[in-house]
Amino acid sequence: MEYPKLYEPGQLNLLFNKKEFFICIAQGIYTSVVLFFVPYAVLSNATQINGVPLADYQTFAVTTATALVIVVSVQIALDTGFWTIFNHMFVWGSVGSYFTIMFALHSQTLFRIFPNQFHFVGSAQNTLLQPVVWLTIALATAICVVPVLAFRFLKLDLKPQLSDTVRKQKRRKPGGRSMGGAWRGTGSVSEGRLGARGGSRRSGYAFSHQEGFGELITSGKNMRLSSLALANFASKHSSTSTLVCNLATNDYFSVFVYDCRASPWGAGGTSRKQPGAELRWTCEGEWR
Amino acid sequence: MMASSYNAKEEDGRNSNSSTHGGAAVAKSKKPDNTAFKQQRLPAWQPILTAGNVLPAFFVIGLIFIPIGIGLYVTSNNIREIEIDYTGSESGSPCNDCSTNFTWNTTTPCICTVNFTLNQPFEGNVYMYYGLSNFYQNHRRYVKSRDDSQLNGNIKSLKEPSKECEPYRTDPVTKKPIAPCGAIANSLFNDTLELFHNEPNGRTTAVPLAKRGIAWYTDRTVKFRNPVGDNLSEVFKDTEKPMNWMKPVYELDPSDPENNGFINEDFIVWMRTAALPTFRKLYRIIHKNSSSTLTLPSGSYTLKVAYNYPVSSFDGRKRMILSTISWMGGKNPFLGIAYITVGSICFFLGVVLLIIHHKYDSRNNSADIPN
Repeated sequence: MEYPKLYEPGQLNLLFNKKEFFICIAQGIYTSVVLFFVPYAVLSNATQINGVPLADYQTFAVTTATALVIVVSVQIALDTGFWTIFNHMFVWGSVGSYFTIMFALHSQTLFRIFPNQFHFVGSAQNTLLQPVVWLTIALATAICVVPVLAFRFLKLDLKPQLSDTVRKQKRRKPGGRSMGGAWRGTGSVSEGRLGARGGSRRSGYAFSHQEGFGELITSGKNMRLSSLALANFASKHSSTSTLVCNLATNDYFSVFVYDCRASPWGAGGTSRKQPGAELRWTCEGEWR
Repeated sequence: MMASSYNAKEEDGRNSNSSTHGGAAVAKSKKPDNTAFKQQRLPAWQPILTAGNVLPAFFVIGLIFIPIGIGLYVTSNNIREIEIDYTGSESGSPCNDCSTNFTWNTTTPCICTVNFTLNQPFEGNVYMYYGLSNFYQNHRRYVKSRDDSQLNGNIKSLKEPSKECEPYRTDPVTKKPIAPCGAIANSLFNDTLELFHNEPNGRTTAVPLAKRGIAWYTDRTVKFRNPVGDNLSEVFKDTEKPMNWMKPVYELDPSDPENNGFINEDFIVWMRTAALPTFRKLYRIIHKNSSSTLTLPSGSYTLKVAYNYPVSSFDGRKRMILSTISWMGGKNPFLGIAYITVGSICFFLGVVLLIIHHKYDSRNNSADIPN
């Protein structure tokens, strides 16, 4: 809840409404048109290196299908914001399994068993060896992806949404903004990890779930007040005290309310104020 | 609102339970493990589209595509190609007689000759194609009308072709199965083209045309096989030739047993259906001769056509194409022009975005979220 306003786009349906849907449909139509007409225009006059024309139905099919898979994978890669190991696995894995399955379907083994069904035998092997085919696929990919990239960059540059700005800030000052200024001696362990490798260790795919204060609080590192301070504190209030801190980050206030109870080591009952005595805090808190 | 109790873990390992606060006293087993996967702490690469990423990418794409496009365009321009249309639909054209007087049951083929001139010599291997226009080999019912297991030499399919071949499955008169069955086989292109060079000293020499090596390797070795048997006419004796053919399938090339029957390369080339209504198929190859560098020197040539294939009924056109080949295939100016266009648009877009980004950069900086 550090940036509660980040929940607003979801609540106001800003990311998926009729306008966004039609933009998606328009992009799909544009991609389909490009993916058909670019191989059509190139392959209708092309030949292989050995002179055999490339304008047959099976070559056309393999070229268009491969271009489609590659364009869609590039589009998914553009959309992926956090590349964990699973993202890598699935994106590269899907492209790899497409090629594997295609070569399996066009293999001689399956043709020998079912000649009438697997009549694409030899098609992938012959088609994907031609430089013209790969040049066509690269051209189709560029024509499909470059406008998307341009639009996204313009949108990000001119009208960034709040989540984009937050991500940019986090990249510029890693970890520094996740804690409020009210804590002194904040845990350096978590900050250091956040800044590692130019990206957040915290994958943040639920973006509001930042590192959080759980470890910080439960470690009790900043809770060991000196006994003097405690004495002053405890005398003013009752034995249970409430600390209210305002985490003033950007203009959005979120409040974490603590309820902490101190107890001395190994003893129950009332606390005895002794100089140098360490007190253990147990805290309960809630976000408001 | 979330109320949770935190177990304060101290160095001495003692856990103090804050169950007195009345929070949910959860059993320890329900808490998710403190692993990177379950606590959403997996290492991740977070790419963000910044100006430093995107603008160089645009320029790089532009700078890669433009030279490739120029290379492709120059290569394509160096390829020599000539097209000779010999349909004969206009009166006065050389093959007009053959075209207008076409009959189906003719024993002597109609011969017509077309003269043409090569302005520039052709070097290296020269490929001879026949081209058809307005012929829809990509019609769905046409594409399905074949039996691949019969063409693979399966004896059972030879005697009982697939139902997809209807109505070209059995001969209507003799009721025998047709080999090869189907509409694609039935419409086999059967014109014969010959090329003669009219040398300056008056002699006319025939240009040697190679008829092997024109089909895909996998097609002629895996997909198309003759039924097992030494004598092809014996193997095919209980079958009938397709209705539009003049010769049965085992007489397609009696001089070469490797090119006879289903494995005849002209037949294989025709059976690979084209994707577009205007297409060309490889007919013959003129190999480069080692003695002289010019395969086809410039000069006058004669194309002799045995006009067997009727196209006037569907307004089709027939032509013969001679072409040289480069590393990227035949003449294809579109690819070069497309690459140059896309490269320059990308570069121009990069420049435009750079200008926009600079113009609004100061506005972006002041709109930072205040600390």
